[in-house]
Order: sequence, then structure tokens, then C-alpha cells
Amino acid sequence: MAGLDPAYAAVYTFTVASVVLVAYAVFRHSRLSSTSIGPGRLAGLAKDEARRFTTGDPVFLMHLSIALGVGLSIANSLLDPVIEYAPLLRTLILIFSVPLAVGLAAAFVWRVQVFIKSKRVEKELRSSDSFTSASTLLQGILILAIGLTTSELVLLWLPSLVLVGGTVGVARNLLVAAYYSRPSVNLIGYFDRPVSALKTPFSLGDVMAGKIEPEQVHVGVGKISEFDASQKLSYDSCVEIGACEAACPATASGRPLSPRVLVRKVSLLSRTAGGEQADPLTAVGEDELWSCTSCGACVASCPVSVKHLDLIYDLRRSLVARGKLDKEKSAMLENLAQYQNPYGFKSSTRGNWAEGLGIDTLAKNPRAEYLYWVGCLSSFDQRAQRIARALSKILKQAGVSFAILGPEEMCIGDPARRLGEEGRYQELAYQNIEKLNSYGVKKIIATCPHCYNALRNEYPEFGGRYEVVYHTQLISDLIRDGRVRVPADRIRKITVTLHDACYASRYNNIFDEPRRALDASVSEVREMGRRKEKTFCCGAGGSNYWYKVPQQRSIAGIRTDEAAKTGAKEIATECPFCLSMLDDATKVMNTGMEVKDVAEMVAECLA
Amino acid sequence: MNHVVWAYSENEGVSNEVASAATDIVKGSPGEVVVVEIAQPRAGIRAPGGRLLLKGPSSADSPGVVAEALYRAAKELQPAAVLVGATRNGRETASRLAAKLRVGCMSEIYNLSSDGQSLLGERNVFAGKVVAKVTCALPAVATVKVGSYPRMESAPGGTRELDVGGVDSPIRVASREKKAVGAVDLKSAKVIVSAGRGVKKKEDLAMLEDLAREMHGALGCSRPLSSDLGWLPEEHHIGLTGVSVKPDLYLAVGISGQLQHTAGMKDSKVVASINTDKDAPMFQASDYGIVGDLYQVVPALRRALSAHG
Amino acid sequence: MRIAVCVKHSVDETELKLDPSGRPQLAGAAGKMSTFDKNAVEEGLRLKAAHTGEVVIFMVGTPASKKTLKEALAMGADRGALVLADPLAVDSLRTADMLAAAIRKGGPFDVVLCSEGSSDTYSGQVPPMLGELLGVPYAGYARKVVVNGQTARIERSLEDSVEILDVPVPFAASVVSEINEPRYPTLIQIMQAGKKPVEEMDGEELAPPGAYRQASVVSMSAQPSTRKHVMIEGSPDEAAAKLVDALMKEGVLSK
Repeated sequence: MAGLDPAYAAVYTFTVASVVLVAYAVFRHSRLSSTSIGPGRLAGLAKDEARRFTTGDPVFLMHLSIALGVGLSIANSLLDPVIEYAPLLRTLILIFSVPLAVGLAAAFVWRVQVFIKSKRVEKELRSSDSFTSASTLLQGILILAIGLTTSELVLLWLPSLVLVGGTVGVARNLLVAAYYSRPSVNLIGYFDRPVSALKTPFSLGDVMAGKIEPEQVHVGVGKISEFDASQKLSYDSCVEIGACEAACPATASGRPLSPRVLVRKVSLLSRTAGGEQADPLTAVGEDELWSCTSCGACVASCPVSVKHLDLIYDLRRSLVARGKLDKEKSAMLENLAQYQNPYGFKSSTRGNWAEGLGIDTLAKNPRAEYLYWVGCLSSFDQRAQRIARALSKILKQAGVSFAILGPEEMCIGDPARRLGEEGRYQELAYQNIEKLNSYGVKKIIATCPHCYNALRNEYPEFGGRYEVVYHTQLISDLIRDGRVRVPADRIRKITVTLHDACYASRYNNIFDEPRRALDASVSEVREMGRRKEKTFCCGAGGSNYWYKVPQQRSIAGIRTDEAAKTGAKEIATECPFCLSMLDDATKVMNTGMEVKDVAEMVAECLA
Repeated sequence: MNHVVWAYSENEGVSNEVASAATDIVKGSPGEVVVVEIAQPRAGIRAPGGRLLLKGPSSADSPGVVAEALYRAAKELQPAAVLVGATRNGRETASRLAAKLRVGCMSEIYNLSSDGQSLLGERNVFAGKVVAKVTCALPAVATVKVGSYPRMESAPGGTRELDVGGVDSPIRVASREKKAVGAVDLKSAKVIVSAGRGVKKKEDLAMLEDLAREMHGALGCSRPLSSDLGWLPEEHHIGLTGVSVKPDLYLAVGISGQLQHTAGMKDSKVVASINTDKDAPMFQASDYGIVGDLYQVVPALRRALSAHG
Repeated sequence: MRIAVCVKHSVDETELKLDPSGRPQLAGAAGKMSTFDKNAVEEGLRLKAAHTGEVVIFMVGTPASKKTLKEALAMGADRGALVLADPLAVDSLRTADMLAAAIRKGGPFDVVLCSEGSSDTYSGQVPPMLGELLGVPYAGYARKVVVNGQTARIERSLEDSVEILDVPVPFAASVVSEINEPRYPTLIQIMQAGKKPVEEMDGEELAPPGAYRQASVVSMSAQPSTRKHVMIEGSPDEAAAKLVDALMKEGVLSK
């Protein structure tokens, strides 16, 4: 211990000052963006990090090592003058420093690898030179910060080098204050904002009620200044960790989108001279925005809680408002406007699939316990109708009282909303809610996760509050309660793999129930590497089912490859869109695998 | 009112169809059919009741000019009805003539008849879903649906000339070019043979191309073949993310029938499919289905077609 | 440049319902802007964007068909004129009479645009009649329109040929769908368009029928349009022969 050594005193003073600077920077950004970072948020974050710790995800562990490593070294540097009086604490710090240093070293290696990949992606995206150098700088700083923190932890073991360690710490703290205060605020403020959360830009109800004039409604973002403070914080929080890019199906398929590059381009644009007035669409391409399948892997994987999807929806809304839609996209929206389904089928034929099956409509049986919300694809697609029939068979066997809306059902609106036509979405939502409420509907079953997500997470905002259950959940419960019995000799001797639908698993945490249902109906379930909340998209979400985007290979093809590698003979799906995409892909790739919904697999085992 | 019916089309073959339609109208009445020609008589024209050659206009092709010449002649000779072939130019000619004469005009008519007072006929409306019986008091103008009458084959009668004077057009024709042949035009094709993933390799598409040609149709495909496998250019792709078509006959070969595809062909008049899978959803969207291997059924189909000539 | 675009609120053929005797139920039937009319509006908006000026929408219809007018205004047109008459009760020439009178009243216009035909009855007569009644040069089935000062170069798309015409301004034209991709107006834009000025006028007053005897519909009938689902059995050759027979009977095999 150097005691009153002037050099030590100077380093310590700088240490304290740099820590104060970090604290100030964090405080300042929380104020600027009106983000709450109080003790409650911190406690919540700690709890959430602990939960994620138990999942053992290596990328998460590396990031936790960085955060804890920085925290530990800051704590140690502040305590340094008095640490000799607390030998137990010092021992604890030293013990903790070991796994953290290992994690940091791993993070360092991983980061370098991410850096190399990111440059390859930028080359494919033909990013500008100025973007590439800005990105290289930021990634360099991240690598430097990791390096500095790692060395600081190592230096903890070498008390003779305390001044070196202290100096390294000051340098790192300055980097943290300059570059990581925003992501910290963003993480503390928004770690628990679910993937499914979507900003509602206006209320059509208010317009219809005359509370605001249609002219006052502003949709989309034409200028950087139109992003709200939390969005700006979110995009400026990107420190190019690259987790989003690694998880993104659009990037993986060679489409012109990387969520990292997208967010950073907007952030960099906002910092140019006059950036506040700049149009984000000058920096972002149309195909870049249409490449997104809204699978949410970017948002879910971001260690600092950047919400890429908000940006994509806002910019898509701008494109829609400017009439920048090709004919496939406008045809879908026109079909929704005219026929209330996105395919242009005669609306009165929606319930035809149920003819002769003895299924009541709600008009005929308004007292049914459940409303089965069929959705457009299972209503009109001859293949997906089999899902609806399979579920109906299961419900009938279990004696569940249910009915459908038949011709009174309309599209839930999800395709319009994800494409950026908020008005059309809300129009459908209000019409559906009016219908559901007029029947006094309480409980709803859905076989499409997009319908499920809208009913469960989005409709309450517009006055539709229901108990919504996903078909895989209900089927699993019916099996558990013995209301659906699969005789042992009817369990099919076959190996299947389950493809989790993004909107069921990542958006709504449904992943154990479909597995239970499969366990009861097939002899073996093999898992793919990317599963449950880390599932990989089929390529249809975000309205991608209705249009084409330039790509090097199909997203469904990538996923089918993963499924084929398990050696499974069949792919189980839980979403009619996934089924459609994977069915095509298995045929294109001649894998010989069949694709069926979980409900079909269960229904097959019933007499 | 005399019962002279004029037949006109700028297209020789269509003119002979219109002459047949006009003959149907005057059948059983003392009427006669006169085929009208502008500027020059054409060799292939069949006009058993004789032809009326209008002299004066220099250009015979522009609908505006033809309408004016017909108008001047009709003012003088007072025909009971003027029938025009419903080509694009013919529709314009007939409409403009009716506006000049201020008489009723019926569009794309077949099954024409007359009771001496008015013209009667049928036409397809609401995207072909509905047949409307329509009528119009004589004198009247009508366009005759192309392909709805056989071509008149009897020999031409005598020719009468009428000078209607020069007709000026404010429009200058800078050029006329034939459209490129072979260009994929699925939207206007009457027959479409469409290939799906049941086709095992790219080379086998030649067989379906031949079938399409023999049926005077065009070749389409489902998404996997164009977007995923790249066996056919995107303009062949029929479906939600491709083109939407409404042919008279849609023959789906080896297409499983997902909505991605069927949404683009659901308005076809008649749908037939061939698939090895008896449970293929495509059969639900078809009028006629054959469960079988396309590699056997397609050659059989070609034999059956050639047997019918 | 002042541009008039004519649109029609057509019967939606997809939603058409038949009564038990097979007659289409037209009273209260769902309607929509005629499909190709969107191309005409889009072309008008493009000409306006290239030359400045205004786009005025003209429509013969009932008050119930205002939805279509509003949609055209939402696409970006400036004003509308609704000529009140039942489009299913007036024939093409009467429709053209009314449109011509309304266009004269609101004129002068440099360009009058229509689509090649409406998506419900598709007779394609109104546009050339309108050109005739307005006494301006007319070019039908345009797939490209470029106005250069006092002349327009127009590409007409015919069955198997393309004609390139030089047409003096003012002129009237009909467009085919390949001319452009119409923009989609959002729901909010349609609501906003409700504030744009629309002049209403009575069709019969505007264009008295006089002695003209119009063409009319005697009756309509339709077959229910469900698929037959006939599965053809037999060896490949037997099945193929049966299919060809069936298709011949349907009359769908081209010769």
C-alpha cells in the first residue's frame, strides 16, 4: 500500500473522478431520455440477469463477465486505500476476479471473431466507407475496453503494479463514460420491455370519436427528430456487440439487412450536422426494411436492450404513407380493406372449411365456452385447413365446448400492422373487438401465433380483453388432465423435431406445451440447436409471406437444413405460416420430411 | 327501316366472324349482310351479301378515322345495325360511331338475334361469373366477342363503292411495331399449364413447355420453381408473390396447392390437376383431378390431345 | 396542367351473391373502385408530378359510391365531382354524356384519363365515347403517356402490336394496367381525403337524355362458382382421354 505516495494519490483522485464521471454520464442520459434507472429498476435487472444466468447461454455469460468485471474493478479501485483492513473482502474480490477474467478473455476472442464477421457483412451490404470506419472505431473501443478490464483483473493479483492497474482503470472508466453510459441506461430502463411490445403511433378510436382530426395523425418517421427520446436512446445505445446480426435470419439468408448496421446508420445520421432534420430513409434502403421478418431475434439477443423492431416499423410506416409499396404489398392491403382477408377470397366463404364437421358458429351457439379463432390461412388454405380440422377433432373428443365466428371472422390485422399500415390494422382490430364483445366472448383459442399475439398482447389496448390460449397449450392441458387420451399403441413410432414459431416462443414464451403434446403422440422428439425462445424464423413473419426480397438463399431453407440434421422424419410446426414455408422448403430440398402441425400429430393418434 | 346489317373489322379473320354474326341476325328475315371495308378491299374477306367499300379516308387503321367514315356512310345508307369485331381498335371504332350516331351500343356480344325492332344478345359480366342478356333498339351498334362465331366461308358477293370524303386525324402515327413473340403473357393466356415441385429436374420442364404449346397456352409455375430453384424466370411465377391469372383452363402439374400458389389462380374458369398425392390440397381447388405420376400422365395427355386433333 | 380522371365504383365481382334462381343480387352489393381506374388515377398523379397542376376526379355514381371517390382523392387527387346517377341503370353513352358535361363544366382540361374498362361490366365504351363527345383527340389502351409541351407521345398497346402516336394537347386517353403500379392510400389518408372538395351534380339535369334510347340489360344469370372436384380414374391413357373429353365439353381447349 503506497499510503501518501503522491503518484498514488493522483491516480486515486483520477479514479474517483472517472467513476464520478461515469455516474454523471449515466445520470445525464437517463434524464435526457426520461428513462427510469432507480433502485427498483436495478433490482429488477439484477433478478433478470440472474434468471438468464441459469440458462447458461455462453454469449450472455461473456457479457455478464464484462459488466461484472467492470463493476468489480471499479469497486476494487475505489476500495483500494482501505482494502488492507478488509482482507476477507480482498480475498473475495480476488476469487471472483478469476471466472470474470476467464469470461472476459473469452469475450475478447469472441469479439475479435465478431469483428471479422461484421466486416464481411458490411462488404456484402456494400456499406459506405464512412460507415465501416465508424463501425471499426466503435468495435475497436469495445475490444479495447474488454482488454483493459481483463488486464485490470489480472493486475489485481499484482499489488506492486497498483498504479498501472489504477491508470488502466481510469482509461477504461473514461471509455465507459463516453460509450457505455447510454447502453447502461437503456438496459436498466428497458431490459424487461417484451419482444412483443410495439409502439402504437396513434389511436384510430380517437380519430373516429372525433377527439383528434385525421390531419393531426402523423404516422411514420420522416425526420430523426420525430423519434421519441427512448427510441433515440435505444439506437444510440448500440455499441456494435453484433449479437443481433448473428441471430438475424435476414442477414443469414444474404438479404440486404443487418439489424446492427441499420440501427447504427440511423444513429450516425442523427449525429451529422443537421442530423435532427435528416430523413432516415436517406440512409436506409427499402429492401433493407422489407427484409425483416419481425422474428424478434435481434431484440431478444441484444445485451443492452436495443429495440430494432420499433425502428423498422416506424420506417415501414413512412414507406407506406409515401406510397412506396410494390404490387404484392398493396394487393395484400387492398384485399384486407375490401375482403378482410389478405388473399382476396370472398369473405362469406371463410367458414366453409367447417362444413359437415358439426362445428357451431357463435351466432348459432353463443354460449360456447371457447371461441376458436381460426385465422385467415387456416380458413382459406386447403393445407392449413387440416390444422383447424385436427384441432376441432381433439376438442370434440375432449368434450370442450367451442364455436367459431365463421363468416363473421376477419383478419386479425397483423399483416397490415407489421407491414406498416397501422390504420388498416386498427380498423380490423376495432371491428373484431366489437364483434367479440357483442358475443360476450371470454375465452379464445388460436392456432396461429400471429392471431394469438395480437389477441393477447395488442387487442387489450383497443378494448379487447380475453383469456387467450394457444392451441398447443390447451392440447397439452387436455392430455395432462386425461381429457384427451392417446392409447399407447397409437403413439406413432417416428422421430420428429419441433420448429418453434417466433410469435409463440420468443414473443409469448410458449415452448414447453407443444413438446409435452408431442411427447404424448410420437415416440421420439429430437431438438434443433436453435429452439424455444432462440428459435430461427421460417421466413414468413413481418408480412414476408406476401412479398419477395432479394436474398442468396431462403430462410426456410436454412431452417429445413437444421431440421434435417436432427435426423427427424417429420417436422412439427405450431403455426400455419411456418408449415407453409417449411413444407415448400422440404420439397425444394428433397429432404423427404413431412411437415405437420402439432395438432395434426396429436389428432392422428386419436381414434 | 331496312334490315341491312353492316359487319366491319380491321382484322380480316375477325371480319369473317362478324359477318357470320350478322348472318345470324338477319336469318329468317328479309335482311341482308354487308361487309364494310375502308379504302382498299382485302382478299380474304368473305361477304356473301356483298361489300361496301368506303373511299375517302387514306388510313384504314385509326379507329377515329374509321368511325368517322362509317358515320358518314351510315348517315347516307341508314343500316339497321352495325356490328364491329370486339378487338381493341374495334371497341373504339364502335363506341365512337355510336356516340356520333347517338344510338345504343352493346359490347362484346355473342348469341346475337333481332326481332326486327331491337338487337338482342348475351355478354359476360362480373369477371365472367354472370351472363347478361342485353338489348338495344334499332338502329344500333354492337361489338361482337372475338372467337364466338365461326368464320364466314362462302364466296364474296358484289362490291359497292361509296365516297365518304377525306377524313383528317389530329393524331400522327409515329410507328407500329409487332409485340415481341414468345414473351410470357400469363395474364392474357387462355390456357396455362403450370409446373410445381412434382417436376423432378429442370430439363423435364421441356415436356410441359411442349404441352403448353400444343394447348396454345403458356407455361407457369409455383414459387419453389422460380424463386427457390430458379428453373424458370420470375415472370412465370403464379401466386401470392407472383402474378395473378384468370385463364379459361388452368392445368396444375405436380403442384401441391398451397394458398401461396392458389391465391394467384383461384379465378381460373376451369382447373385440372395432376398429382401423385391423392391428398394434395390442389385437388380441393380443382374441377378435375388425376392422381398419378406426371411423367406418365403428361405424355398420355399429349397423345390424347393429338388424337383429338 | 389540368388533368381530369374518370373513375367508377364497380360491383365487387368477388363478393357477388346470387339469389336462389341464380340472379346476381345487385341491390346493396359490395363495391370498389374499378381495378384499372387506379392506374388512371396514378397516371394522372404522375403527370401532375411531372408538370404541376391539378387532378380532378369525375365519377357517375350514387351517394353510396363516394367511398371510391374518396379513395382516388386519398391517392393524391385534388378535387372530385360526383355526377349522381345509378351506373347500373345508365348505358355507356349516357354515362359518357354525363361525364362529358361535368368535365366541360369543370374545364378546360389538358388531359382526360380513363381506364380501358371497368372491372364489373368491362365494356370499354365510355372512354372513346367521351373522347368523341368532348371533341378532342383520343388514344385508347395507352401503356405509356409522355406529355411534351403541346404534344403527347402515347404508346397504345393492342392485341399483338404497339402503336406510337403523337397526339396534340388537349386529348383524352384510356390506360391499360401495365402503364404503372398504383399507389396504395392508407386508411388515415382516406380519412384525411374526406376534407377535399367534392362537387355533386345531378346527372339527368346535367345531360338530359333527349330522344336517345339506351341499351339495357334484360336479365342476368350465373352458375354457382364452386369447383366440381371430379376425380378421374383409370390408367394414364384412359384418364388423359377422359380429361380431354371433359375439357372439350367445358369448351376451354383452344384450337
